[in-house]
Amino acid sequence: MRGATTTKWLVAATAIALAATACSTSSKSSDDKAASGGGSIAVQLGEPQHGLVGQNTAESEGNQVLYALFTGLVDYDRKTNAPRLQVAESIETTDSKVWTIKLKDGYTFHNGEKVTSKSFVDAWNWGANQDNAAEGMPFFDKIEGSDELAPGKDKKPTVKELKGLKVVDDKTFTVTLKAPFSQFKTMLGYSAFYPLPTAFFTDPKAFGDNPIGNGPFQMDGAWEHNKQIKIKRYDNYGGTKAKLQNVTFKIYDNLDTAYNDLRADNIQATNKLPISAMSSVASEFGDRYINKPESGVGYIGFPIAYNPAYAKPEIRKAISMAIDREQITKTIFAGTRVPASDFISPLINGYRKGACGDACKYDPAKAKDLFTQAGGLPNNTLELGYNADGGHKEWIEAVGNQLKKNLGVEVTFKPFEKFGKILDALQGKQYQGAFRMAWSMDYPSIENYLRPIFSKVAIESGSNYGGYVNDKFEDLLNQADQAKTEDEGIKLYQQADDVLIQDMPYIPVYTYQASAAYSKKIKNFDTDAQSRYNLAEVELAG
Amino acid sequence: MSDTITKDASAPAGDNTPKTEPAKNQKPERVASLWSDAVRDLRRNPLFIIGGVLVLALIVISIVPGWFTDGSPFANGACDLSHSLERPSAEHWFGYDVQGCDNYTRTIWGARNSIIVGILTTTLVTVVGSLLGLLAGWKGGVIDSILSRFTEIFFSIPTLLGGMLIMSMLGKGNAYTVSLVMAVLGWPQIYRIMRASVLANKNNDYVMAARALGAGAGRITFRHILPNAIAPVIVVAAISLGVYIGAESALSYLGIGVQSPEISWGLMISDAQVRFLAAPHVLLFPAAVLSVTVLAFIMLGDAVRDALDPKLR
Amino acid sequence: MGRYVIRRLIQAIPVLIGATLLIYALVHYLPGDPVQALAGEKRADPIVAEMIRQRYHLNDPFIVQYWNYISGVFQGDLGESLQGRAVSDLIGDAFPYTVNLALVAFVIEAVVGVAAGVMAALRKGKFLDQLILISTLLVISIPVFVTGFILQLVLGVQLKNDYGIDFFSVSFNEDDGLRAYLLPAFVLASLSLAYVARLTRTSLMETMRADYVRTAVAKGLKRRRVIGRHALRNALIPIVTFLGADLGGLMGGAVITEKIFNIHGIGGLLAQAVYQKQGTIIVGVVTLLVMIYLVTTLLVDMLYAVLDPRIRYE
Repeated sequence: MRGATTTKWLVAATAIALAATACSTSSKSSDDKAASGGGSIAVQLGEPQHGLVGQNTAESEGNQVLYALFTGLVDYDRKTNAPRLQVAESIETTDSKVWTIKLKDGYTFHNGEKVTSKSFVDAWNWGANQDNAAEGMPFFDKIEGSDELAPGKDKKPTVKELKGLKVVDDKTFTVTLKAPFSQFKTMLGYSAFYPLPTAFFTDPKAFGDNPIGNGPFQMDGAWEHNKQIKIKRYDNYGGTKAKLQNVTFKIYDNLDTAYNDLRADNIQATNKLPISAMSSVASEFGDRYINKPESGVGYIGFPIAYNPAYAKPEIRKAISMAIDREQITKTIFAGTRVPASDFISPLINGYRKGACGDACKYDPAKAKDLFTQAGGLPNNTLELGYNADGGHKEWIEAVGNQLKKNLGVEVTFKPFEKFGKILDALQGKQYQGAFRMAWSMDYPSIENYLRPIFSKVAIESGSNYGGYVNDKFEDLLNQADQAKTEDEGIKLYQQADDVLIQDMPYIPVYTYQASAAYSKKIKNFDTDAQSRYNLAEVELAG
Repeated sequence: MSDTITKDASAPAGDNTPKTEPAKNQKPERVASLWSDAVRDLRRNPLFIIGGVLVLALIVISIVPGWFTDGSPFANGACDLSHSLERPSAEHWFGYDVQGCDNYTRTIWGARNSIIVGILTTTLVTVVGSLLGLLAGWKGGVIDSILSRFTEIFFSIPTLLGGMLIMSMLGKGNAYTVSLVMAVLGWPQIYRIMRASVLANKNNDYVMAARALGAGAGRITFRHILPNAIAPVIVVAAISLGVYIGAESALSYLGIGVQSPEISWGLMISDAQVRFLAAPHVLLFPAAVLSVTVLAFIMLGDAVRDALDPKLR
Repeated sequence: MGRYVIRRLIQAIPVLIGATLLIYALVHYLPGDPVQALAGEKRADPIVAEMIRQRYHLNDPFIVQYWNYISGVFQGDLGESLQGRAVSDLIGDAFPYTVNLALVAFVIEAVVGVAAGVMAALRKGKFLDQLILISTLLVISIPVFVTGFILQLVLGVQLKNDYGIDFFSVSFNEDDGLRAYLLPAFVLASLSLAYVARLTRTSLMETMRADYVRTAVAKGLKRRRVIGRHALRNALIPIVTFLGADLGGLMGGAVITEKIFNIHGIGGLLAQAVYQKQGTIIVGVVTLLVMIYLVTTLLVDMLYAVLDPRIRYE
């Protein structure tokens, strides 16, 4: 690393100065392996937004901790992302509408309580009840009776339980959906579907700081807000037991700091790397640097619902073809993002590399022709909006420069403080320009990349921020939902994806790569499609 | 007296040599006032000459950046990602930034916004803060209490919040809006310092003497108090000028400041900071130019202060 | 003097009420939806969002919300954040770090700044004077983020990895006590340090030219004594003013320093609350800052009278 050599003399000077003042080292004992059988490590985390309750967690940091504390009915294979049975013994259906779930023996909560059908059903009923205002509430939408529990503004839920959930016995329950949904099983690994012990219901708020899960790790003291969350191995865990004895999630709000702490081996892993590290991390960490596909897709979106300037698909296609994705991902992102060639993430069963075809291929001459033929943009100006808090400025400006060069338009940029501000501006129809947008999956299904972003219902309650509507697309989605088998469903979803590729409501620009790095002190480290640490498998090295 | 009062504004700012012209026309037999003395002093001071030449050069660059560069940074194809972060070379003295734009061209063209932000904000803050500080320090009592408590609230308003609020009223940001935001939130500092200076000076013998001789409040304030009290204000203002130029970029993230594709040094520096270790040159060149600018104003400030100090006569 | 202090303290009451009302109003009328701000890039579910708004009475008219808030405050309840944490806890967690950091930074800027300024004034144009000038320019033009990051890399990472000296930890470590604050406080103080040094230099040079100082020197008093006893004392007034006004700034505005060194203090809390438009947190923190400013300006005003006996408050 260049910085390392140029600052070497400074280090030497400081070392001498410190030695002179006789400030000796306080060598902290870092050899914890012998001390506590299995060893202890610390890893990077951001402060979770809410109390640690699966039903109320819809963001990555809380999810990260919950993943270590809880085990759901299924989790996902890190290679294929297919659901693997965990607490569930079997999940079966004949019509994609009524699902029968059987549980394994042997899973207990950290306080000794057995994990039963009721642990799941009660938890889901709590999550689906609007009075609890749980972030994960939308996940229960598909279950029969969810409307009665969430009747909406100024109304009170009329019942306490989801009609579609039936406890058969301690180890069996059934789920009835409003309509057949072939991908339901893939949803079940999400934190909203985790079980809860009865202790939760007496004081949900206190539980949030001191959750009792059924996972490989249990809390080791309460959550120390903005500082750390300590967990320790749960020895009566029903699945494969964790190797490490203790893990500390050290809370950061600056990735540069976390990265420097990793370099100094003060923490042993981070699943997010700062921009400043991108160019040097590969050489510094070698095979302890992980760079592999993650679930996110980055788009450029348009307010097609109310700005006629972007109404023509040709204009959007021309813009797409004028973007040199290869160069942007290589230069700006140093390979930590990959050019997108489909609306779906490469991780997902049903992804087709190159599905987007010519529309996502860089061809400035064709782009310019198409752009001119379609009549160009009013005032020959294009505005690109982005949220300034997420490190998007560089790539958005690079896109802007390319559009300017290749299409001859004037490009202006509009930073918003937070992504929420872009949404406010789109909702109020105040913002006329194009905007950046990204999607990362809630559950590893191709459906999750289509309906929540491009369907009609998602305009009001989902993430269809551009207001795209296409009846053919809606039809195909519905057919796919009702497919009898998963494979048949996927084929139909792919046809829906083809409609998007024709229309280009958003432009897929890149897909995200999970970039993580870890210290020499540990081995068997990996992250999953949601960039979560596989803490249960990590071991101390050597 | 009134004519000398109107002239005073030009002297401390000292950014503009033509404004010293009136001094030349004064007849030698006329008893020179403090302020015209100061102007004469200034023109002999090498600090003032060097600082003045530098500032003049910066102003020329701001007005006609095209004289100093081959192309415009706004030209089609001025930036090419394939040159991203290239190091300085014989053809490209300052190297390239992350977007593959020529760093030198951008530094030159960024001068205008930065100089506007620096001078405008500093002027607004200094004028408003000094006048209110003079008023509070000189009058004391209720006026002082009201103004002082007011500044305590202003001090406590987070810059972010104030910025967002003013932004939501103004719409799109540019060099002028950001100056306004920083001035609105920045004047209490000068106010406090000016007030303290006045408090420290108003009990001096010469002020007492002037009062006893029946001098009016205006005369005492501007002829006796202000010249004696202004030194710390000038020091703070000269440093703040640089700070404002740099801080502008922080607000541009909120859509308040100069917006890309427009250029400013503050934006260049802040954009380059995350890649500082990989490509320090992208940050260091605009930072160096900013340093020179601040240096020029510090020199001017020192010269003006010396010229105004009655003790040096 | 006693009556003056009492009068100032009484004035604090309307100031505090005015400030809370003003800030509450500013936040309220700022465009943007705090509930969506929490949800990140995915749209908050409309029903969930509505329930959160109802729970925190965000749909009530402004004056009702303010009344609820202020009557809560009088009962010792500063309200709750939208994530369900008590604002008093949030502030209580963050404030001790902020106070420590600000005080260490304050001592650094006051001691080092004044000392550097005095030396520069005494040896005008010499090496140290130039060094201070150059450091000033550096501090102004290189962002804190860069200096902080490089110091952290050099002192926190490389010193430990290459030389085995684990003295400065990369991120803030409470167990290190005062030592943990040194580096962040230095970074935080650097800009103010430049102001203080240059103010001292100028102020001292001015007072040294004053008649009474010249007289004292002419009388044959030792130079050091003249400077210490007479010149510096008078020159301190603008410096004390600057320092007093700066203390509050160090507490509320240390956002970047806190971020670099992972100190979860008031600055970061406030900045995040502003981004998320969380009124209760903002008002709580700003009120605290107003109180700090009220106290520091009072102390500064009283110090004037000590430094210059001619200044009197009737």
